[in-house]
Amino acid sequence: MERFMLIVREDLEKIGRLTTEERFAASPNMLDWVKSLAESGNYIGGEPLAVTGRYVSKDEVLSDGPFIEAKEGISGYDIILAENLNQAVAIAQTCPMVMLGLAIREVRPIQPMFDI
Amino acid sequence: MDTVQQEVDHLYKQHFGKMVASLLYSWRDIDPETAEDIVQDSFSSALTDWRLKGIPANPMGWIYKVCRNTALNKIKKNKRLEALSEKTDQGWAEDRFSESAFEDQPLRILFACAHPDLSPKAQVVITLKYVVNLKVEAIARIFGMTIDGVDKLLLRARQKIKEEKIILEEPHPQALKQRLSIVHKIIYLTFNEGYKSSAGKEIIREELCEEALLLNKALLDSHLSNKETKALHALMLFNCARFKSRFAASGELLDLENQDRSLWNSDLIFLAHDFLTRSQSRVISKYHLEAAIACLHCAATSFEDTDWKTIAQLYARLLHLHPNPFVELNYAIALFYAEDKVAAFKILHELQHHAILNQYYLLNMTLGKFHYLEGDNITARQFLCKAYHQTDAIQEKDFIQHMIDKLEDHA
Repeated sequence: MERFMLIVREDLEKIGRLTTEERFAASPNMLDWVKSLAESGNYIGGEPLAVTGRYVSKDEVLSDGPFIEAKEGISGYDIILAENLNQAVAIAQTCPMVMLGLAIREVRPIQPMFDI
Repeated sequence: MDTVQQEVDHLYKQHFGKMVASLLYSWRDIDPETAEDIVQDSFSSALTDWRLKGIPANPMGWIYKVCRNTALNKIKKNKRLEALSEKTDQGWAEDRFSESAFEDQPLRILFACAHPDLSPKAQVVITLKYVVNLKVEAIARIFGMTIDGVDKLLLRARQKIKEEKIILEEPHPQALKQRLSIVHKIIYLTFNEGYKSSAGKEIIREELCEEALLLNKALLDSHLSNKETKALHALMLFNCARFKSRFAASGELLDLENQDRSLWNSDLIFLAHDFLTRSQSRVISKYHLEAAIACLHCAATSFEDTDWKTIAQLYARLLHLHPNPFVELNYAIALFYAEDKVAAFKILHELQHHAILNQYYLLNMTLGKFHYLEGDNITARQFLCKAYHQTDAIQEKDFIQHMIDKLEDHA
């Protein structure tokens, strides 16, 4: 099994206008999805991200950064185990937020390092 | 219902999936949808023909023959279209598609369903459809999905099968090892789906547990199994032994504390022990650890006598092997009863901050119960009320309501 990060991308401007309660009440019930992934040994962990943050580059620190208005900004992530990229994609497709068209999932293999 | 209809229904239930699978295996040119149509038509022909002429001496042989001929005609037609003739291949396929070649078929299909590209849920769903022979309606009910949802999942899986001819080929020996662990997972998930308490005492649930055991038994009888297969068998048997005691006669859900332990099936426990002993290996899998935990529960003469300390240690090892917040909850529960309450509350409070676990009724119910046992009824009530609104299952709602009522009595 390999590790993958399933990055959640959604409309940050839209969720930025909501209170925390509203934001999670508006999102579909993710518990069953995560629970079934945990049961099959595929779930490692994950968290939602707050919409506010800082954007840091060599020359400056922007208080909001460009991501705050992003239509497909990063709003959370899950780390899963999957047999291969195809299975990771198949799992991401069953995410309720994806199925309802509320979010996009970016599926990225976590880069394994070389053994010495 | 007339006798012909009964006979056809009976055969259909037992053979439909096997016949589809076997057609797919025998003829590389047939896609899953066509195979289902051919089998479906054969059963319809049987119904019409037998009503006129009576049920033949070998009903199943009759259906197989019709099915085989239909498949042959279909392929000949396609071949003509493609102006191809592969006589040798055809003869070989005809040999393979026979009633007697079926015995080891389910296992072969099971390994085909265990394709690593499919999601675990899709793997279980196509197994239930093509190996266990469940109807789409039944599968939808089991997973709380719509029939349309199951159809879509099957369609997607079938497309994969069609694209890659997954079901047609036996996995490569090197791939077998990976496939075996997926097969274990499919069996484990099928069993769990049957064992879930939220669904209550539905008959179909018990049947799912039986099917999982039968599949695993077939695996044990083959040359493909390993020590993990034995550990998984032990785990399922230990849980089966306690199946009936989880509900009161009234259908009400009972927790481990209040189960009538005399209802536990000692024969199954004995058998499970035997499998667990024979599963010993240098590599300890999650099935070994879960079976060991179930074993300790079965060995306890009462809730208080349970070896919670060892159970907690086993959960710690399980978590080391596979991080899993839901298992952490079980670990915390074992720690609490092993009198390590500080550690237990620490984990529970961490889980409260987990975005998903926070919504889980069992976490809040556990916090409610433990606060009650520690004498803090006010906090207990808050957690129990939260838990009550987090589940839709009536059995679970009633269970939490009883706990809240108990608080009021003590107030």
